[in-house]
Amino acid sequence: MTTNTAAADSTWQASGIHGTSVLLQNLSRAFGATRALDGLSIEMAPGELVALLGPSGCGKTTALRIVAGFETADIGTVLVDGKDMSHVPANRRDMGMVFQSYSLFPNMSALDNVAFGLRMRKLGAAERRKRAGELLDLVGLAPQAKQYPHQLSGGQQQRVALARALAIEPRVLLLDEPLSALDAKVRLQLREQIRTLQQRLGITTLFVTHDQEEALSMADRVGVMREGKLEQIAAPDELYEHPATAFVAEFVGVMNRIPGELQSDRLVAVLGGLVPAADGTDEVPGDVDVLVRPEGLRLELIQNGNGIVTNRTFFGSVTRVSVLLSGDVTVQVDKPSSEAAVLPPGTSVAVSLPPEPVLVSARRTATP
Amino acid sequence: MAAVAQEGLSGSRRSSRRVKGDTVWRWVVLILAGVFFLLPLWSALRFAGISAFGSVIGFAGFASSLWLSVKLAIITTLITIALMLPTAVYVHLRLPKVRRLLEGITILPIVIPPVVLIVGVLAIAPGFLKSSDLLLALEYVVLAMPFAYRSLDAGLRALDLKTITEASNSLGAGWITTLWRVILPNLRTAMLSAVVLTVALVLGEYTMASLDLYQTFPVWIYVNAQTSGQVSVAASLLALFVTWLFLMLITMIGTRQSRKTGGGQITLFTVARQETRGN
Repeated sequence: MTTNTAAADSTWQASGIHGTSVLLQNLSRAFGATRALDGLSIEMAPGELVALLGPSGCGKTTALRIVAGFETADIGTVLVDGKDMSHVPANRRDMGMVFQSYSLFPNMSALDNVAFGLRMRKLGAAERRKRAGELLDLVGLAPQAKQYPHQLSGGQQQRVALARALAIEPRVLLLDEPLSALDAKVRLQLREQIRTLQQRLGITTLFVTHDQEEALSMADRVGVMREGKLEQIAAPDELYEHPATAFVAEFVGVMNRIPGELQSDRLVAVLGGLVPAADGTDEVPGDVDVLVRPEGLRLELIQNGNGIVTNRTFFGSVTRVSVLLSGDVTVQVDKPSSEAAVLPPGTSVAVSLPPEPVLVSARRTATP
Repeated sequence: MAAVAQEGLSGSRRSSRRVKGDTVWRWVVLILAGVFFLLPLWSALRFAGISAFGSVIGFAGFASSLWLSVKLAIITTLITIALMLPTAVYVHLRLPKVRRLLEGITILPIVIPPVVLIVGVLAIAPGFLKSSDLLLALEYVVLAMPFAYRSLDAGLRALDLKTITEASNSLGAGWITTLWRVILPNLRTAMLSAVVLTVALVLGEYTMASLDLYQTFPVWIYVNAQTSGQVSVAASLLALFVTWLFLMLITMIGTRQSRKTGGGQITLFTVARQETRGN
């Protein structure tokens, strides 16, 4: 992974690839009665990695396929460096793509797979082999150059697929859940490898995933999608700490829902105290749910408190404590493991909120 | 503990007895099947006599009828592959809902008797076709369609066609290049299966050729059986051997090629692909 890395980098830089800007403008796409995409707009800066995150069926893959040229939008345009790509066929878009399922050509060795795109660009055989070798080295698979896809493990296949997508020096790299078929350990390694390469090569990348951990750890910005629309797009920490909607709040990270009452003075009565509602709250006064992260709740050991510890989950330095509140509401509170050690199940505790603005959402009817 | 060990021992004895029993039965079935298939061949060989083989080649019409059959096999195979391959690929990629309908349609030649097919074809075929070998080849294309389609269909099912096609497109390949460089090489096994079946079918077909008044090799054998039984039987055996050799050769080459890239052995209706190992 070192010998030819510098060579590959220099080839890349010599080719003049310095990242490309991508603009998705008001993309909409319907399949029959289903609106897969509904007015999606995203602006990607050169060299940026944007992750589209959302549950299955939210339209994220459709968006990626429209950018790749495999689907056409009913309305809207895709601009790459300001040029409208809507009518450019997929094979002329110069976009490298790594697919969710193993997509290597079974009849070609790893080296030939990587060289395929270069062959399409009419590079000479010797140059093709040299560049493909460099790219395989870049993903740490030079020794496997002569092996066929069925002789490679899933993780190796996806690395070859990544090398193949990068070999054509694409203007944009598209990643369609490339890690979802891999086991946890390989996924973690490959995640880091993709991010390192993407940053080193400065290639604009659109990454689709349903795994929030993947999106938050890899992307410069994460776009959370729901029912074909973009709910929020922001840097991972911003998204986690200041979710714009209840959906984003609950989809990204763990979120407690605690019943409360929104008053006309925008204060919320919850857990026996009053806390201000976050700016932009448009709920009408009345019954609401307050959304709080496990680390945003205070927990004290106290006789006859408002909750009872029901369970503890150890995460190393932090332990997540489940507390049953009155009204059959269970909340999760993160405590340093040393403090959680004195909170065995059955302990009476007091759960409260610090006096900071909280996100409120319409009261969700309890599911039976 | 001893009882458990005893139980284990007797269990393993039982299973070893069962394996032995299975092996014996396998041999019994193999020998019975062998006798069933080889006895008629041996009888034919005895009836014809070794000397008949020498005179077959010089017999009137032998070379021309054999050549006609080979020619028909080649033309039929080419037309069948040229028609069925793009159709099967297109249906798999773009019209997956039509797949069942197409399967139904391709079954028709098996259901419709050849006589009915011939009467229909002769009624509508233009004059220039009636005097050409192409007419019979076209009829054979229809006849071979169920077998060829099924072989190709099995091959396409074993591939993640949509993904590799899109991967090829994204790397800059157009449709023709994708078909030629990516899809075709991965369908080699399936295509060889289709070729094997088509060739076998054409070399052995009698009814259509006879009704259309072509003297193909099977027709020649039948005609000569009336006048010179021994020579005709010798020719049959020779044809059988040559066809068998030809098919074995195709199968062996195809299997060796496909094993290299993770494909399975050529079996006529299924093309198994090896699983990727682990992560």
